[in-house]
Amino acid sequence: MLFCLLIVNTLKKKTTLPLYWKCQLIGWSVASFYWGYIGFLGGRFNYFIGSFQFISDVALYILITHLYRNFALRRHWQQLNPGDLLKRLVPAAVVLGLVYLLTTATKIYLFNQWLASGNAGPFINFFKVNWLLMFTAGVRLMSIWLLAYHLYHYGKREVGLVRENSRLALIAKDAQLSNLSSQLNPHFLFNSLNNIKALVIEDPKSARRAIDLLSDLLRTSLYNNDLLLCTIKDELALVTDYLELEKLRLEERLQFSITCAHDLGTTLILRYSIQVLAENAIKHGIGKQKQGGLVNLKITPEADFIKMVVENPGKLDMAAPLEGLGLKNLTERLSLQYKGKAKFEIVGSDGIVSASLLIPNA
Amino acid sequence: MKRIRVMIIDDERSARNEMRRLLADYPGFEIIAEAKDADEAKALIEDKQPDLIFLDIQMPESSGFDLLESLEQVPQVVFVTAFDQYAVKAFEVSALDYLMKPVRAERFAKAMDQVRQRLAEPREERIFVKDRNQCHFISWSNIFLIESMDNYARLYFDDKKVFLKSSLNQLEQRLNASVFFRVNRAQIINLQFIDNIKTPAGGKVQISLKTGDTVEISERQWVKFKNRMDAKNKGG
Repeated sequence: MLFCLLIVNTLKKKTTLPLYWKCQLIGWSVASFYWGYIGFLGGRFNYFIGSFQFISDVALYILITHLYRNFALRRHWQQLNPGDLLKRLVPAAVVLGLVYLLTTATKIYLFNQWLASGNAGPFINFFKVNWLLMFTAGVRLMSIWLLAYHLYHYGKREVGLVRENSRLALIAKDAQLSNLSSQLNPHFLFNSLNNIKALVIEDPKSARRAIDLLSDLLRTSLYNNDLLLCTIKDELALVTDYLELEKLRLEERLQFSITCAHDLGTTLILRYSIQVLAENAIKHGIGKQKQGGLVNLKITPEADFIKMVVENPGKLDMAAPLEGLGLKNLTERLSLQYKGKAKFEIVGSDGIVSASLLIPNA
Repeated sequence: MKRIRVMIIDDERSARNEMRRLLADYPGFEIIAEAKDADEAKALIEDKQPDLIFLDIQMPESSGFDLLESLEQVPQVVFVTAFDQYAVKAFEVSALDYLMKPVRAERFAKAMDQVRQRLAEPREERIFVKDRNQCHFISWSNIFLIESMDNYARLYFDDKKVFLKSSLNQLEQRLNASVFFRVNRAQIINLQFIDNIKTPAGGKVQISLKTGDTVEISERQWVKFKNRMDAKNKGG
């Protein structure tokens, strides 16, 4: 009883005691206390012997199971699937039952020997009488312990997996959404509409053309957003529409040139990867130059890779070269899609900023 | 009645034309100039002194905010932007007039009403400061204390304070010397806010402002200050 209180006290004080040790102490204490109680009901109960039994039981069985736990940990049994784990747990329960039998039998015999001042008879006799009872008790106890221990870890792992999966699903959803919003760049959209409004009066033919281009751009960004890849040909059609529309707005401030090795048209690339670079070239390049300049897009094969380069006049902000949602998003999508085999870099020199993208030619 | 002189500042030709068309329905307003970037605009504003400017935020090299901060005297401003969540947020929290492109006629009419009201009020010399996400048009007459903070000046007005990217020396040169006086290396005060002047025994002269702030005046500046007061008293 005293010991029990002591344990409760230490538990109260040290709330940092790991859950494992709490369970060990409480579990074995309850079991030992129950045995003591049975002994007490059986009459002829000696408090001294009872306490001694209690303490030695708790210490011994914690030791045995703790040794097993270290063994299982070292062999990473927590990571096994239920079937494989079960195959190991059955022999483990038997072995632990045997260990329980040996230690318990030895302990009780030595104790009896001590109490009877060495006249308890030979060990073998004692063992023959008691071994079956002790062994089944051991297997039963150890099985309960094993199940409790491994079920807890299995449950914990499952919860962790579910959480990790939902996190991944969320990331994928997020990428899709920011994909959409990066395409429907509102600043571009409203500037274009304002431009079209002016063109309706000033140059109706261009206004009509601008509406066609904008419609196609909207169509592309509103639909098929679940597609990750597209052909270079499709991507270039999108980029060309975009640049033509921007040219109607920026007029002489924007020139553009697009060159692509003709056999690359059907190659698959990450959708919007060139578009993001083109938008960036307008927003941070042409848009920030009073005189504007040339946006130069080149796509060439290079060994096992495809190289896509977009150049524009301007200065690179070295402090935050990859700032902006578009580029951050692009690098993330690249690493997801090509698992680190794609390379993206942006450099600036002599008033020209050059963004280049190298992806495996699959 | 005198016509209100307007200037349009936008880097896109079609956007400037759109603004012209909107203004065509308002005969009380006269477009005196157009500019396609901040530098051009600054020169024209200083030369022609418009009453009102329509200002695009996103322009090459310097933004509309940069332009305003570079001006010694800021006319009435209506901001125009296609979409810029940060700018729009700044307009909202600072209660400024702004329009979003494309501009609807009704929305434009509302903005013009506000502009007429503002222009009817007596015109005060004021500056523009964008401090973090807040925009302030501050009348010089409301600024009672200016403190030096490294390369910045901290302006105190009403119950607010903002940082202006300007050294105290630079600022002193552009301030109206009949209103502002430099009391020591780190502080300039607005003379119209002086409440009382005390000279503690053996200590530096202390000037208390009506706002409750107290500044110390350096010995050298105290001599200047007294001379000025004398000259002023003699003069009238």
